[in-house]
Amino acid sequence: MTFRIFSLGLLGTFLWPWLLIIVVPYATMQRIERVEFNEEDDGRTGVYAPARPGRVADGAKVYAANGCYACHTQLIRPTYAGSDVWRDDWAGMKKTESNEETRRETTVYDYDGESFAQIGLTRTGPDLSNIGRRVESYVKGTDTTDEEWFLMHLYNPRGGFKYWSACPSGPQFFDVKKHYGQGNGGGLAVQAPEGYEVLPSDEVRALVSYLISLRKDDTVPYSLNYRADKKRAIEQ
Amino acid sequence: MATDSDSIQHADPDLRPAIDRSLRHPVMFFFTSAAAWLAVALVLGIIASAKSHAPEFMGNIGWLLYGKSQAAHLNTLVYGWGCQAAFGIIIWLMARLSRKECRNPGTILVAGHVWNFAVLFGVIGILSGQGTGVPWMEFPSAVWPVLLISYVFIMVGSVVQFRCKEGGHTYISQWYLLGAIVWFPWVYATSNLLIFTFDGHPLMDAAINSWFKSTFILLFFVPVGVGAAYYLAPKVTGRPVHSYSLAQMGFWALAVIGPWTGMQKLTGAPIPQFLPYVGAAATVLFFIPAVTVAVNILKTVSGHNTTISASPTLRFMIAGIIGLLVLGSIGVCLNFPSSIKYAQFSFAGYGYEILAMYGFFSMCAFATMYFVVPRITRREWLSRRFIRWHFYLSIYGMSTIVICTIGGGLLQGAAQEYWNMPWSDAATRGYAYGWGTTVSWLFILFANIFFLLHLLLMWARLGRRSQHPTLLSKHTSESPHGPEGDIDEIQAANA
Repeated sequence: MTFRIFSLGLLGTFLWPWLLIIVVPYATMQRIERVEFNEEDDGRTGVYAPARPGRVADGAKVYAANGCYACHTQLIRPTYAGSDVWRDDWAGMKKTESNEETRRETTVYDYDGESFAQIGLTRTGPDLSNIGRRVESYVKGTDTTDEEWFLMHLYNPRGGFKYWSACPSGPQFFDVKKHYGQGNGGGLAVQAPEGYEVLPSDEVRALVSYLISLRKDDTVPYSLNYRADKKRAIEQ
Repeated sequence: MATDSDSIQHADPDLRPAIDRSLRHPVMFFFTSAAAWLAVALVLGIIASAKSHAPEFMGNIGWLLYGKSQAAHLNTLVYGWGCQAAFGIIIWLMARLSRKECRNPGTILVAGHVWNFAVLFGVIGILSGQGTGVPWMEFPSAVWPVLLISYVFIMVGSVVQFRCKEGGHTYISQWYLLGAIVWFPWVYATSNLLIFTFDGHPLMDAAINSWFKSTFILLFFVPVGVGAAYYLAPKVTGRPVHSYSLAQMGFWALAVIGPWTGMQKLTGAPIPQFLPYVGAAATVLFFIPAVTVAVNILKTVSGHNTTISASPTLRFMIAGIIGLLVLGSIGVCLNFPSSIKYAQFSFAGYGYEILAMYGFFSMCAFATMYFVVPRITRREWLSRRFIRWHFYLSIYGMSTIVICTIGGGLLQGAAQEYWNMPWSDAATRGYAYGWGTTVSWLFILFANIFFLLHLLLMWARLGRRSQHPTLLSKHTSESPHGPEGDIDEIQAANA
C-alpha cells in the first residue's frame, strides 16, 4: 500500500457516505416543505402548521441543559419499530366519550421551534411527546392547573402517585423566600419553614411552558395521517 | 534496497532512546492528565449511576443533577481520558515507526494544555447548566473550535514525521493511526458545524449527532486501539504479524463500513427511511473488521502463554482485543431489525459505548502505557501487585457492566414494549441492573486509583532503576535482559 493508494482509498470510502447520509439529507431536510390541507381529503384548506404556544425555545434550552434527554424520549415510532402508539396516552388520546381519537406517530413538524430534536437516549422515564395533553387529563376535574401539576412534579416527582419514579427532584429550580403579607402568589403548596414560601424560578417556568407545549391533539393533514382506519373527508 | 534498510536498522539502537527522550514530556503529559481525567470520569459515572436507581442520592446538589452528571461523565471519559490517551499513543507510535525524533515537543505541550483547559471549561459548563444538550457534544459550543485547533497542533508533527520518513516499509499500525488522524477532524468538524453553526432541521441534527457518536468510536478510538495492538503483539512476542494481508483487509473493511454507522438510533423517526437501515446494517457489518483484527492478533500471540501471563502489556492488550470481539458481536445482536426496538431506548446503548471506550479502547491504551512509560522515563514500573489489581478489577468491573447494561438493558427494552402493562413496570425494571452498574464502576474506580498512583510515581521518576522490566511472574535465573542492576550504572560501565 502506498500513500497515494491510501489517500485515494480513504477519500473514496469516506467521501461517499459523508455525502450520501450527511450532506445531501441535511440539505434536503433543510428545505422541507409545509403540507397543505385540501378540501377533498381534509374538508378544509390552509397550511398545516402545528401551533405550539408557550416559551418553546427558552424551555427547550432548560430541557437540554439539565439533561432530561438522558431518561426521556420524544419519539412515537411507527408500529414496525415499536409499540409506542398503543401505550396509554403516549401518542395522543384514545377515543372515549369525551375525547376524539388523536393517537399518531411523530411527524417531521413536531419539533418546530426547537434547534435540536430531543429524541432522547433511554426510556428510564416515559416518552414526553404528549405529556402536555396527558397532564391535562390528570388534572381534569380537580382544582389544580396543569402548570401547578408540573411544578409540583418537578419539585418532588415521587410526591404523587408515581412513588416509584427515579426522576431527580429539582429543589434547585425553586427559591425559598421570606413570606411577606399575603405572599407573592404562585407559591407551591408544599411544606416550607415558618414564614417562608417555595417559589418557582423563571427557569422552571420556561421548562413547564415547554412541557405543556408537547402534545399530540391536533388534526394532521390526510397525507400525514398514518392510521389504518383513516378516511377522506368526502368519504365521511 | 537491502543495504538501505540494513543501515536504517543499524541506527535503531541509538535512535530509539533519542526518540523516546524527545517525546518524554508530551507523552507523559498526555498519559498522566488522561489518567487523572479518567478518575474524574469514573467518580462522575458512579454518582450518575447511583442516581439512576436512587434518585435522592446527592439529590440536593443542583449541579450534580442526573442529566448533568451523566453528560459530564461521558464527556470527561471521551475528551479527557480517551482523546488524550489516544494522542499520547499516536505521537509516540508514529515517531517510533517513522524513525523520526519529535521536533516540536513545546508546541504539543502548549496545545495539550489548551486541550485540558478547554475540557475543564466544558465540564464546568455542563455542570453549571450551560450544556448544549447534544449527547457527547454537551460542552458549551464555544469549546469545540478550541479543541479542534489544539488537535491540529498536537497531530501535525506526526503527519510530518510520516511523510518525511526515509525508505523502509510502512507498517499497518501507521495506516491505522494515519486514518484516525484524518477521520477525527473530518467527523468532528462536520458534526459541530452542521449541528451548531448551520441552521438545519432539528431531526437531521439529531441524526448527525448519533452518526457522530458512532463514527467517533469506530473511526477514531478503534483504529488507535487496533494500531497499538498491531504494534505491541509482534513487539512483545518477537514474532511477525500472523497475516499481513489479513491486516490490510481489516483496515479497509473498517474504512468502508465505519462511516455508514450510527443513525439506527433514530429508527422510526421521520427522517429519510434509508438512514436508520444503513446505520443498522453497517453496525452489524462492523463484526467483519472486528473479527479480522481479533483473529490476526490472537494468532500472532498464540502459543506464547508464558509471555502472556508475565507481560502486563500483552495481558491488557489481549483483554482489549477480546473486548473488540465482544463489541463486534454485540453490535450484531443489538442492531437486527427484530432487536433494535429493545435496544434503542434502553441502557444497552450506553453499555455499547462503555464497552467500546473501556472494554476495548482503554484496555489497549493501558497496554500501550505499560509498554511506553518505562521507555520514556527510563524507570521500570514499581509494583507488580498494583498492575495485577488494575487488571483484575478492570476485567471484573467491565464484564459486570456489560452484563448489567446490555443484558439488563434488553430486559428493560422488552418491558417497554409490553404496552398493556403499566409503565411503572418498565420504569422499575432497570433498577436492579443499575445497582450492578454502580458497584462495577466502583471496582473500576479502585482499579484506576492504583493505576493513577502508579503512573504519578513514574511521572515523578520514582520508578525502579533497573535493567529488568516489571513482569507479573517471578523472575527466572536466566533473563534475556542481562544482569539485574541499576540501568544508568550498567550503561555507564558499558560505555
